[in-house]
Amino acid sequence: MPWDLDNDRPIYLQLMERIQQDIIAGIYNPGDKLPSVRDLALDASVNPNTMQKALSELERSGLVYSQRTSGRFITEDETMLKKMKKDLASEHIHQFFEKMKLLGFGDEEILELIQETIKEEK
Amino acid sequence: MLGKLIKYDLKYGAKLFIILHALLLLASILGRIFFLEKIDFNADSNTLLTSLGLFISIYLLLFTAVCFGVMLLLAIRFYKNLFTDEGYLTWTLPATPNQQLWAKIISGTIWYAIDIMLYSLCLVILVTGKNVTTAFAKIAPEVTESLGMPLSRYSLYMLIFLLISCIGSVIMIYSCVAIGQLFPGHRVLCSVIAYIIISTVIQIFTFIIMAVLGIFPNGHNYVVGTSGNVGHYLITVFKASGALFLITTAIEYAATHYIMNKKVNLI
Amino acid sequence: MKPILECQGLTKKYNNFYALSNLNLTLDRGQIIGLLGPNGSGKTTLIKLINGLLTPTDGRVMINSLAPGAETKKLVSYLPERSYLNDHMRVEEILSYFVDFYDNFDLERARKMLHDLEIDTNSRLRTLSKGTKEKVQLVLVMSRDAELYILDEPIGGVDPAARDYILRTILTNYNENATILLSTHLITDIENVLDRVLFIQNGQLSLNASVDEIRTKEGKSVDALFREVFRC
Repeated sequence: MPWDLDNDRPIYLQLMERIQQDIIAGIYNPGDKLPSVRDLALDASVNPNTMQKALSELERSGLVYSQRTSGRFITEDETMLKKMKKDLASEHIHQFFEKMKLLGFGDEEILELIQETIKEEK
Repeated sequence: MLGKLIKYDLKYGAKLFIILHALLLLASILGRIFFLEKIDFNADSNTLLTSLGLFISIYLLLFTAVCFGVMLLLAIRFYKNLFTDEGYLTWTLPATPNQQLWAKIISGTIWYAIDIMLYSLCLVILVTGKNVTTAFAKIAPEVTESLGMPLSRYSLYMLIFLLISCIGSVIMIYSCVAIGQLFPGHRVLCSVIAYIIISTVIQIFTFIIMAVLGIFPNGHNYVVGTSGNVGHYLITVFKASGALFLITTAIEYAATHYIMNKKVNLI
Repeated sequence: MKPILECQGLTKKYNNFYALSNLNLTLDRGQIIGLLGPNGSGKTTLIKLINGLLTPTDGRVMINSLAPGAETKKLVSYLPERSYLNDHMRVEEILSYFVDFYDNFDLERARKMLHDLEIDTNSRLRTLSKGTKEKVQLVLVMSRDAELYILDEPIGGVDPAARDYILRTILTNYNENATILLSTHLITDIENVLDRVLFIQNGQLSLNASVDEIRTKEGKSVDALFREVFRC
């Protein structure tokens, strides 16, 4: 099943996000070995070089590390994983705030709306 | 590479080639059984000439048709394989243009040679029935005298000459098709025009050479001439046309070679 | 390493019409490259020049630093936009033809792909549908271990399911030192598998950039950019 990718943003960024998501969702656990570039590329239906670039970027951020012969692994550094989770959360929150502001809500109103929603869902 | 190319070229269109010649062989066997073996050579010369004339005309027509068919087959194979959609595969094989050309020349010559040998076989089938050989035995000395050699040897010379000329005929066909390729949009038409022009030019030169050498084929003088005349005439003609043949074939080959190396443009 | 393809001042003229004029291009190894342009822009002319099916009017084209010839034809695996197989042949006969002529043809791979696509190798080509014939040709071309694959409209005539299979085939057989040059007008379908795109316009190269460069710079997909550049 090809991965669902947007048309207007660089593909490698979207691939990075997708792999981060998969780590958070528990599809990959800390210390797990990632599939090969070719298999990941095939799975995503994207160019292997683009997948390679996405993985290199993840490696640079420290989320993924490679062992020369045996492949790429997810980091076992819990603080790193927590930080990534937090980064992604704050990114979502920023996006959410931007949209709400476009709808004309102030910070207070937004907070109220969130609390209301939480109550309703309980 | 050349061997592989020749292998596939020989296969290409072989079915039609076999059918054409099987028909010819069949016709020759039937002609021998139902006509030549039945005919009475002692009959009134008028009736004999009429029926024999008709028979010979039919066979000449048949041979010409098959000969034309083989030429057409060679031309079509060369054209289709190199200059139509199939050319997209042929020209992307790891072979040089010269290998492609020689594969076509060699396979074409093999076909043509087989074709000529089969004609000879058909002729042999036609005339070796008892009825004909008995009739011929009566006039054999006369024929030998006017030919300057026995008919069998004369036929052998003819066969050898024709076999040698195979390669030239094949190259001529290819050169016409290749020249036609220089005119995209009218490839087939221009190939035919090239054929007409080349054969006309060759005929004019043949005529000139014959006239210059004084061996103008005024057949009447030779057939009933003195002994050795026809044989001598034959050898001179072979030499003269052989030389002409060599020159025209060389020119045609050079042209085809140039076009296949420098002017290939598939549409 | 030498570039796999180099065009210098490449020009092809038909009568008074320039199909390609003064095209300069260098392609490195290990990429999948989309060759994009409207009909009649010169895509097929460029492809035919690389394969030695056309003689350039001016300039030159080099594959692995060699002019097109028997040596380069060993390196290039070419899928034309038309059917180039003799219709009377059986698929089986065509396979042995490829085995005979191409040292780098992988028969096992071809058989597996034909099997996956449910194509009977005993059938004669003329009994197959147009789409199936295209698949046979693509299988033949992708079963060679070539250094440069040139695919002219490889997904034009086949159904979406087969298109997915074909794209997967390209990705599966892709060797990291090989280069694939792929011409198409169905950009959306293949955008994600491309490294780089070339836009050809009126016989000249108007863009040569990587897909992610375009997305970063323009903020839009290659498909959207294509529609903008080549708006009628």
